[in-house]
Amino acid sequence: MFPYDTADWAVVDGPMFMLANTSWPGIFTAIAAVLCVWVLAAGFRSEHEQYAKFEK
Amino acid sequence: MEQQLADLTAQLAALQSSSGVTNTNFAEVYYYLTIPLMIIIHAGFLAYEMGASRAKNVLSSGVKNILAFAFIIPTFYFFGWWIYWGFPTGLTFSEGPMGISGAAYANAIAFGWGESAQYMGPNVTDQISGVFFGAFAMFAATTASIMSGAVIERIQTVGFIILAIVLGSFAWVVAAAWGWHADGWLVTQWGVHDFGAAGLVHAVAGFFALGVLMHLGPRIGKFNVDGSANHIAGHNMPLTVVGLMLIIVGFWGFLMACVVPPGEAWSWFADKQATIYGTPITLSALAFNILMGIAGGIIGSWIWTKDPFWMMSGALAGIISVASGLDIYFPALAFIIAMSAGIILKPAATWLESRGIDDAVGAVTVHGTIGLYGVIMLGVFGSGYPALAIENAPVITLYGQIIGAVVFFLLGFVPGWVFALILKKMGMLRVPAAAEEAGLDTVKVPAQGYPEGIVPSGPASS
Repeated sequence: MFPYDTADWAVVDGPMFMLANTSWPGIFTAIAAVLCVWVLAAGFRSEHEQYAKFEK
Repeated sequence: MEQQLADLTAQLAALQSSSGVTNTNFAEVYYYLTIPLMIIIHAGFLAYEMGASRAKNVLSSGVKNILAFAFIIPTFYFFGWWIYWGFPTGLTFSEGPMGISGAAYANAIAFGWGESAQYMGPNVTDQISGVFFGAFAMFAATTASIMSGAVIERIQTVGFIILAIVLGSFAWVVAAAWGWHADGWLVTQWGVHDFGAAGLVHAVAGFFALGVLMHLGPRIGKFNVDGSANHIAGHNMPLTVVGLMLIIVGFWGFLMACVVPPGEAWSWFADKQATIYGTPITLSALAFNILMGIAGGIIGSWIWTKDPFWMMSGALAGIISVASGLDIYFPALAFIIAMSAGIILKPAATWLESRGIDDAVGAVTVHGTIGLYGVIMLGVFGSGYPALAIENAPVITLYGQIIGAVVFFLLGFVPGWVFALILKKMGMLRVPAAAEEAGLDTVKVPAQGYPEGIVPSGPASS
């Protein structure tokens, strides 16, 4: 969403990214951070499943 | 007092002149440097598809890729550049609202003969035409390289070059004229925004390759009688992975060339960078979002594949998935979208393979499917943004982005399918089975890829 009231680039005088000046950028950052942690946890589990196959 | 004022005025004029010279030289050097950076894309594609080839085909894959690069440049000079400037308003060839398009305009600046030849060769008063042409010629060559990897190990060289010219100097150029030009009808009428060419370069090239693959058919041994697929391993996975990384290095030049520097007569702004549409952008925006796109794509593809080939393909997919809106995405959102692209990448490629399509390097999925995904994702998140920097500009909408995606798909798929069919009918598409089994290097390349004994080569290898 365009972060200014008027859909005109002439009014843009600062942040121009989507949903600037709302709480959404922070929410996106939090989601991205959680995803990184989740992927690492899933990767750790998967990696150790592979190790276990060779230990049997 | 008057003398002092006169001196100050003279100094100011000299300063302005000097500043103008510096700016002009900067703008020229800016585009000039994008050209070798984009040639790194081709070094990457060369390594990527040679590594993905079996040892018996490694050099013929290289010959094909190198020749495509060489033929795209003159054909883009002969007519591709004219198409970009002549076609934006559609098949009427009329001038668009910005006054920088149409047949008359293209005739005046983009032909290598007559009056317009002054803009198509060395000219001491023109420091932009050559470098701008050069950047676009590299975009064109990129499309050919995208298709090149998909068709390795069974396509005829000349047939492939003809297809590369149709794609690189015609099909994608029409897409660029329509959706990547301030006068393009997709932009002025539907608000289509594709800053980094996810649709008009990647999707067009990816689906052109799909059209070709449907007539070319799979490599011998790819599919079993029951329709199940065999994995045909390339002879050098590390080379392929490094090639993919080189493509990503080159992408920085590709995306840099999508930015218009300020302060020149042809610039959109006096004081800030612009996209090709004339909307504001910063290189910092690119740095944030390209890096987050690469990271998201790698992580997303690692989840299911754990395979470096797909992880680096995921990096490409990550960039492509956010390329349309690199100018306006928030970096964390770009990361999330790119990660989703990395996740869907391998399943999408597997699905395509299950339909009997032998895409040797996943080009249709990485560039085609993910390209369209990126165009549409921008419609989901970027609706409401002005598509041009003018009053009452059309705005980006999901509907408009879907229309753009459909047009880009058709501009790729239809020419690829039609021209491949024609070449097939003429016996110019596929190599004979005996040559394919013997290995194309043995058949048509008077050189060896590796010293005897290091890597098996010739008919015995598979």
